Amino acid sequence: MDLLSNLSLGFGVALTVTNILYALIGCLLGTLIGVLPGIGPVATIAMLLPTTYALPPVSALIMLAGIYYGAQYGGSTTAILVNLPGESSSVVTALDGYQMARKGRAGAALGMAAIGSFIAGSFSTLLVAAFAPPLSEAALKFGPADYFSLMVLGLFAAIAMASGSVIKAIAMVVLGIVLGLVGTDVNSGVARYSFDVPELTDGIGFVGVAMGIFGIGEILTNLEKGEDREVFTSKVGSLLPTRQDFKDCWGAITRGTLLGSLLGILPGGGAVLASFSAYTLEKKIAGPRANPPFGQGNIRGVAAPESANNAGAQTSFIPLLTLGIPPNAVMALMVGAMTIHNIQPGPQVITANPQLFWGLIASMWVGNAMLVILNLPLIGMWVQLLKIPYRLLYPMILVFCCIGVYTVNNTTFDVWVIAAFGVIGYIFAKLQCEAAPLLLGFILGPMMEENLRRAMLLSRGDPMVFLERPISASMLVLSGLLLLVLALPAIRKKREETFVED
Amino acid sequence: MNGFFKNRDLLAGIMFIVIGVVFAVGAYNYQMGTAARMGPGFFPRILGFTMAGLGVIIAGIGLKNQAAAAASEGIGWTWKPVIIVTAAVILFGFTLPTLGMIVAITILTILSGIAAHDKNYRELVFITVIMCIFCAGVFIWGLKLQMKLFPWSG
Repeated sequence: MDLLSNLSLGFGVALTVTNILYALIGCLLGTLIGVLPGIGPVATIAMLLPTTYALPPVSALIMLAGIYYGAQYGGSTTAILVNLPGESSSVVTALDGYQMARKGRAGAALGMAAIGSFIAGSFSTLLVAAFAPPLSEAALKFGPADYFSLMVLGLFAAIAMASGSVIKAIAMVVLGIVLGLVGTDVNSGVARYSFDVPELTDGIGFVGVAMGIFGIGEILTNLEKGEDREVFTSKVGSLLPTRQDFKDCWGAITRGTLLGSLLGILPGGGAVLASFSAYTLEKKIAGPRANPPFGQGNIRGVAAPESANNAGAQTSFIPLLTLGIPPNAVMALMVGAMTIHNIQPGPQVITANPQLFWGLIASMWVGNAMLVILNLPLIGMWVQLLKIPYRLLYPMILVFCCIGVYTVNNTTFDVWVIAAFGVIGYIFAKLQCEAAPLLLGFILGPMMEENLRRAMLLSRGDPMVFLERPISASMLVLSGLLLLVLALPAIRKKREETFVED
Repeated sequence: MNGFFKNRDLLAGIMFIVIGVVFAVGAYNYQMGTAARMGPGFFPRILGFTMAGLGVIIAGIGLKNQAAAAASEGIGWTWKPVIIVTAAVILFGFTLPTLGMIVAITILTILSGIAAHDKNYRELVFITVIMCIFCAGVFIWGLKLQMKLFPWSG
């Protein structure tokens, strides 16, 4: 069994004492920051990235994966306890989770969220392990034209997932790509749009962009609202769900896991799409006679989206690990992190660096187990954190952002970058232009240009190459279909309804 | 025009037009190349014009809904916290390498803290002390990052 020997290699790497320790630290830090209201996984990972610089690549990636799961779990915790989803994937968790908390069953909701996530995580880890090797082999057949078209598809999918206007999302993607082109062009050595600023010849740092828009920009938007968030006061209650809860939920967890794993693989999909669809599906299956009704504290409304979003979060690693293409903003940050550690994500990682590859996959499972075993008992501590008023929280967040970004290159310039992108992020928020597609375009931009150039060079300037190659053509057809579907009035209306909470 | 600054789509459209044109025009400084051998100016020029074109559509949508936007409450720009927090971050950048971490953190927390509606100076001083001790412990002594701690340290 190849799978077994590969997995045992992976667990051999992930289960060393130091790597378990890093997974643990990652989960704890991720939850610590993720539980703070108003900070999603993107900002959390960007903020904590510098803490991994000193580590060897494998440990750093394991710790980052831990941070990611922790951040996601932290988001669900705030959604359930204070009805404040830290990110869009836990929006639906808040619907029933918060109602359960109001009825004094916060503990059961949190427990079920963790157990569902663990089951989903275990299953989808196996899925990643089973499907990554054949897929990366297939990916080796990809030519530059295929890569370019695949990235186009990924960007269109990101546009589909953005809330609000489709045209604005497309414009944001284009803006992201252009910003990604700032700096020295690898082919000609020309410094583009650097305005004779020496720091800009290296390009704009992606950590600065992410932290500026998602960290500082978020603070600026929150500050004008004033403090109107609810402080959690009632009891958490027993963390262990009752036997009846388990009986109610096992179906929901199974369906959520399967749906989430499937949707996570799609570019642009990931956790958000997974949790929304799982909730809708569960509501449909339960029917109008559900007791208590959905939206009034039904535990299945917590179990299904939480399992789905964790499964989706896991399987969204597949496109990243096999093709080197990040399917969403979080994975885009992971690419940045891998590049900092001198790993070029892509199909070659699995053969060139099997220890890293399988170690990372095994650590996904370790990270999930860590969340259940260690994080659940710490819930009391996370609740205490929720009691810190925002007026004290945001200066602390600012300190971490500033020191974090400074340490990337030890330059003051990066601090200016987050200051500038903070203001830009505020303006985007005010004009209702969503920033996640921009970040994805920013990461994919240089890769797209590179592959476009290579494809056109190989075809001697004939753009038909994108339609002649079957892989590339099917990607482009899919992108076209996606755009067409988005333009249909019925879908557009439905989409606006789904994202109305944002 | 009445309610110009209340019209999100119009403003966003203008923003994309301006940025797109700036990038497209800037691309003329770089070689265009041919389709087979693209120069550094090729991709940015196409993208710049695409962005400007999208901006025109977005602004057009905004103009169409101008009446509704003018009657709305407005976007509610609040620049005071934006200016205070941005100034605090920029000052942090200046002071960290020159005057050291303790001074930089103090300026950042106290200055940014006054942007809150319900500020409380005693609390601010308290968390400043906490953050100084915590960051010195974690970043300088723990992770051993090369950073100055006090104005007089080397």
